[in-house]
Amino acid sequence: MSFYAIGKRTARKDSVAKVTGWEKYASDIYLPNMLHARVLKSPFPHAIVKKIDTSRAEEMGAIVVTFKDVPDKLFCPRLVSTPDATYKDWKVLTDKPKFVGEPIAAVAAETEELAQIALESINVEYELLEPVFDALESMKEGKPRIHDKIMLNDKIIDIENNVACRLELQEGDLEEAFKRSDIIIEREFRTSRGYHNQLEPKVAVVNPEPDGGLTIWCTTQTIHNTRLLISEIFNIPVSKINVKKLALGGGFGSSIQTNIVVPIAVALALKARRPVRLAYTKEEDMHEHSSYQMIFRLKIGVTRDGKLTGGFMENIMDIGAHQIQAYPLLGTCAGWWVSLYKLQAIKYVGVAIYTNKIPSCAYRGYGNPQVTWAVETIMDELAEMLGMDPIEFRLKNYVGERDLFWGQGPTVKSIIKSCGVEEILKKGSELIGWKNRPKPGEQKGRFRRGIGMARGYHTSSAGAPIPSQVIDYSGAILKVNEDGTVDYITGLVDQGGGTLEAHAKIIAEELGLPLKNVNIVAADSQTTIYDVCTHASRGVYAGGGAALNVARQVKEKIFKLASTILNAYPHTLRIRPDEERGQAVIYVEGLPGKEITLGELATLARIKNLGTIAAVDSFRPPACPPHFTGYFVEVLVDTETGIVKPLKVVIGADVGTVINPDLAEGQLHGGFIMGWSRAILEDLKYNEEIGDIECRGFIIDYKMPTAADIPEEIKTFFVETYEPTGPFGAKGLGEGAQNPAIAAISNAIYNATGVRFYELPITPEKLLEKLKEKEGRKLAVEDAVKLT
Amino acid sequence: MRADYVNLVNTHTVPVRFMYHSPETLEEALRLMREYGGEARVMAGGTDLIVDMKLRRKEPKHIVSLNKIRGIEYIVEEDGGVRIGANTKLRSIEKNSIVRERFEALYEAVRSIASVQVRNMGTLVGNICNASPAADSAPPLLVYDAVVKARSIDGERKIKIRDFFKGPGKTCLKDDEIVTEVFIPYPPGDSASTFFKISRVSMDLAKVNIAILVKLSSNVVEDFRIALGAVAPTPLRIPKAEEYLRHKPLNEENLNIVEKIVSEEIKPITDVRSTEWYRREVSKILVRDALNSTIKKLVRT
Repeated sequence: MSFYAIGKRTARKDSVAKVTGWEKYASDIYLPNMLHARVLKSPFPHAIVKKIDTSRAEEMGAIVVTFKDVPDKLFCPRLVSTPDATYKDWKVLTDKPKFVGEPIAAVAAETEELAQIALESINVEYELLEPVFDALESMKEGKPRIHDKIMLNDKIIDIENNVACRLELQEGDLEEAFKRSDIIIEREFRTSRGYHNQLEPKVAVVNPEPDGGLTIWCTTQTIHNTRLLISEIFNIPVSKINVKKLALGGGFGSSIQTNIVVPIAVALALKARRPVRLAYTKEEDMHEHSSYQMIFRLKIGVTRDGKLTGGFMENIMDIGAHQIQAYPLLGTCAGWWVSLYKLQAIKYVGVAIYTNKIPSCAYRGYGNPQVTWAVETIMDELAEMLGMDPIEFRLKNYVGERDLFWGQGPTVKSIIKSCGVEEILKKGSELIGWKNRPKPGEQKGRFRRGIGMARGYHTSSAGAPIPSQVIDYSGAILKVNEDGTVDYITGLVDQGGGTLEAHAKIIAEELGLPLKNVNIVAADSQTTIYDVCTHASRGVYAGGGAALNVARQVKEKIFKLASTILNAYPHTLRIRPDEERGQAVIYVEGLPGKEITLGELATLARIKNLGTIAAVDSFRPPACPPHFTGYFVEVLVDTETGIVKPLKVVIGADVGTVINPDLAEGQLHGGFIMGWSRAILEDLKYNEEIGDIECRGFIIDYKMPTAADIPEEIKTFFVETYEPTGPFGAKGLGEGAQNPAIAAISNAIYNATGVRFYELPITPEKLLEKLKEKEGRKLAVEDAVKLT
Repeated sequence: MRADYVNLVNTHTVPVRFMYHSPETLEEALRLMREYGGEARVMAGGTDLIVDMKLRRKEPKHIVSLNKIRGIEYIVEEDGGVRIGANTKLRSIEKNSIVRERFEALYEAVRSIASVQVRNMGTLVGNICNASPAADSAPPLLVYDAVVKARSIDGERKIKIRDFFKGPGKTCLKDDEIVTEVFIPYPPGDSASTFFKISRVSMDLAKVNIAILVKLSSNVVEDFRIALGAVAPTPLRIPKAEEYLRHKPLNEENLNIVEKIVSEEIKPITDVRSTEWYRREVSKILVRDALNSTIKKLVRT
């Protein structure tokens, strides 16, 4: 298919604003008469506030709110699931803190310095409770209860043994499947907890309006759910709350839920009757959200000819102190597992456990990188046991075209209609030199090379042909201006990845518009129709689907109007971009001169009182098509230091039609670097003595790779597929871009050293220890420097 | 133990009240230090001090900034070595040709400190006065036998770098003293030096760092100096290893013994960056790698 706008390399519309600092983020919003807020956080991981004295802060003139001043109401900060699947255990401010950093009170003053001084004057008496930091410990009998009663939708439920929620699934006869297996492999995996480290820490600016309403500027991946939640907590009519859409400095899932700064700033603004700004520091941000730690037990059977039979998976998730989306995540983890390879029988037990840690939330991949790491490790092991090529083994078993795909847990399923897995694996293996890879563990010498691969995918949206437990639709407004441009008005938030740029290209393509004639305009929850959230790699597929839907309607209206003006039948009209005139031109094919520019048409329509050409509509994606990726990684392991360096990376992807090639490549590069970091570096370890993360929130001790640490060669390619349900054949990319990275890296380390890891991250300390265990104390004398 | 820092740290501001003094002469700075002594902190680049204040690790009542004092920003050759002033930025040292050619280990160490932005602000003198056990500039200065010049109103004092560090964040400086200069004597002719470091990512504090200096006479070691950082409360020389290798041939056997001595002499701990065990293990391989690299430099010249 040939496109005019789609697939072209163009400069982003927001690029100048971003590189010059003109772009407005929530932290750039300053209002006249605005107060600055600070939050008092628990210095203990588990405690009860016995007494709180805020009198000195109030004497200083600060506005103070504590748990006594906020609605005594449990809520869930994430509203993506249907109410029957939403567990509520949060309060805006608490008198029973359950992790170090949990907000207890907040102050607002004329400057941030004064707010800080007021904050430090607050006196709190705590009764200390025993904390628990490990999921497996926490679920044992007799451990301290972190939550007592919480709510599921509008029902109160009891929490036993710190089990937040559970999900069990079973399909087929697993016993029989294992019986006919020639090999059954069983492994236990433990992932790390990670911090999103999005560039922009969480911030909220709240302006109380004279009618009792609120205007809110905040970091969010969803303006509509933010306003619904604030309405729910504070009992303010939803129509009186307006949440502004702004540029967002990244999210990676950490603002799917409404961040706690928003309701805290609302509470302060309502009390002060003045605008309030609450901006978290990086240190506070690291105490606001983290990823889930998962402990998997995975058992898989296979026959001698390399056909998988059935599998059992146990998933114990450490969710920290509160639920954000633990229950839906138990479902998606099952889905990621069963949609990688065909299993005739499955059993899945998922349990989410409370611990006294920072609450966990979605983090790029939503459990998929972790599940893929476990499954792809086992696939590598099985291939070796079977004496099969790991790629051939995968091709024999993968879930592909015409198979059923679980896009977002057991209630979101659709049939796969586009799939480029084979081509990805074929081309990727050629580019990395798969045939010449070393045999695992056979190398000697200090420096050892290894090549590993893994494949994966992610859903594009949580769409499906039927309703499910996940809300997923978008909406858009498109209107034609008198200068021949169109205003695109959407509530969909661009996290920074350029999603709205893709929408502009989709609209330009459909309407034959020069790309510059698509305006992405300011929007808020009052002036847009509902969009669920920018998550689940749905921005291009579902959001772009909504943009295309209104563009088609606008096109129909353009032809209808032009048919009267040009005196031609609507169905004989065509539209094309005229770059010279900078306009879309509507014309009758084969009749030169019978044409009009879109600007002229819109102007005539105004003069003749024919109205504005515009459309508004919601769009529900009919499917959840997977986008597929394959990773091939070559590493160099220094067996004397345990340091692993990436030498060469090849990443292939099937995303359907590529809309923004530069940005798509960027997603893959970023996916690798994030995966690399999660594989070998990042871990929010807890120091049980202080009950807090060991790095205490200081980024200097939570290291991530910089440009200096990435390989010189990252080769990316896109295979050609066309997704029939996507806008111009497009699917998502953001999460699949990373999902197999960890698995490919750990498989490469195995290939180089013969050492397998079932615990992340694979730090030099751990790797060196394993190598020394394996090979004895003294290594590689032949490589030692010959000094004479 | 309670994590009170979650409420005290505010990196948006410097959440501490203090007086900022910006004298224009050294004499005035020294007078201020005499007056405020223990309650004052000297600031050159501020890349450590301001961070420590934001994190509430230090809460000085007075800051005496050296920024407006002229005449203490220099790198000059004199008296058989090079003098580096208190206001001299790390970036200037890294770009200086004398340093690059004659003090390879110092050049390599300075280049490995943080980012260009930080090196444009930070100073060598500040780096040693901060007295981090992991200070990257410390091991090279130790192997070069650098001399720290400290001044107070009463006059100047020369301190051997080996005597300068007293513990994490602690030096032998008196409350009213300001370091005005570091003097680094030229290394012996026909010697070469190397700095290595192992860290979590490229831009990071060291898990372990090392500097060595070697002079060979045919295959026999004539001079050998070795210093490591982040493996003890202060950066340290390893005299035992130095004495052992001096006047001995460089061979596998001797190298093994040197590695062993080093791993016995250091006192690493487990912290957020690494473990005691790992630091001991990689110290050995760093000795080997640093020697290898230094010999290569000697062979080249």
